[in-house]
Amino acid sequence: MKASRPRTARGVPAATGGPAPYRSKASGPGRLLVAVYGVFALSASARAGYQIATKFSEAPLAYLLSALAAAVYVVATIALARSGPRAYWLSVAAVGVELAGVLAVGLFSLLDAAALPHDTVWSGFGKGYGYVPLVLPVVGLWWLYRHRPGTAAGRRG
Amino acid sequence: MIVDGFFIAGAVVALVSALVCVAAAVIRQPPNDITILSVAAVELFLLVYGTAAIVRQAGGEAVAGEAWEFWGYWVTALLVPVAAFWWAILERSRWSNLVLGAAGLTIIVMLVRMEQIWDAVPAA
Repeated sequence: MKASRPRTARGVPAATGGPAPYRSKASGPGRLLVAVYGVFALSASARAGYQIATKFSEAPLAYLLSALAAAVYVVATIALARSGPRAYWLSVAAVGVELAGVLAVGLFSLLDAAALPHDTVWSGFGKGYGYVPLVLPVVGLWWLYRHRPGTAAGRRG
Repeated sequence: MIVDGFFIAGAVVALVSALVCVAAAVIRQPPNDITILSVAAVELFLLVYGTAAIVRQAGGEAVAGEAWEFWGYWVTALLVPVAAFWWAILERSRWSNLVLGAAGLTIIVMLVRMEQIWDAVPAA
């Protein structure tokens, strides 16, 4: 958070009567966030489906983790795109699980590489995907904090 | 992975589309004919790429990797520009151009993977 800088119009548009360019958490920059989550939901689902269909017995734990990651991305994408308090808290939960997952799996794969021999999307803090899996939940939680219920941005969904 | 003409053509089309869309977002333009047509060009390339792949396979040039995986990627790739267009057009702000640009970058990654499957290069 850049708390020291003055808030721009997009932070408090409704209260000041200024323009309200970003209607909800799926608006403005949020549209790109949803799109990137959508790409990860698609690729993680395809990867998990492929791993489980063709070589599940090789590393069941790693591939179940892949499936969990895929499910988290799908839930996060839908919850971020929808409006309303339920979707808000669902997206906080999904993005929170994503951050916990990428940190836990990343740390685990660092400490005990032999335990997770097969890559998942979260292995090595997501280095197979340019560390986007590590950055994405941080950006997501910051965006959700900016659009939390009770603020001008949050009240619009 | 053998870098062939199909890959170069596709990568150029998708990269130009992504750059055009990002540039439009930088100068605060909502999606316009140029950015939308650039994404349409990516979709058109994918259709040509798929048609050419059918012709190449019919002519005896088999996919070295798993054929179903190649076509799975191709069908999924076809959906990406359409989904990006739909999501971008629902709210025409400068950010929607970045959504369109993300489609081009995604297609480049998917093209790399499709070429790897075509030449049976194992995934990194």
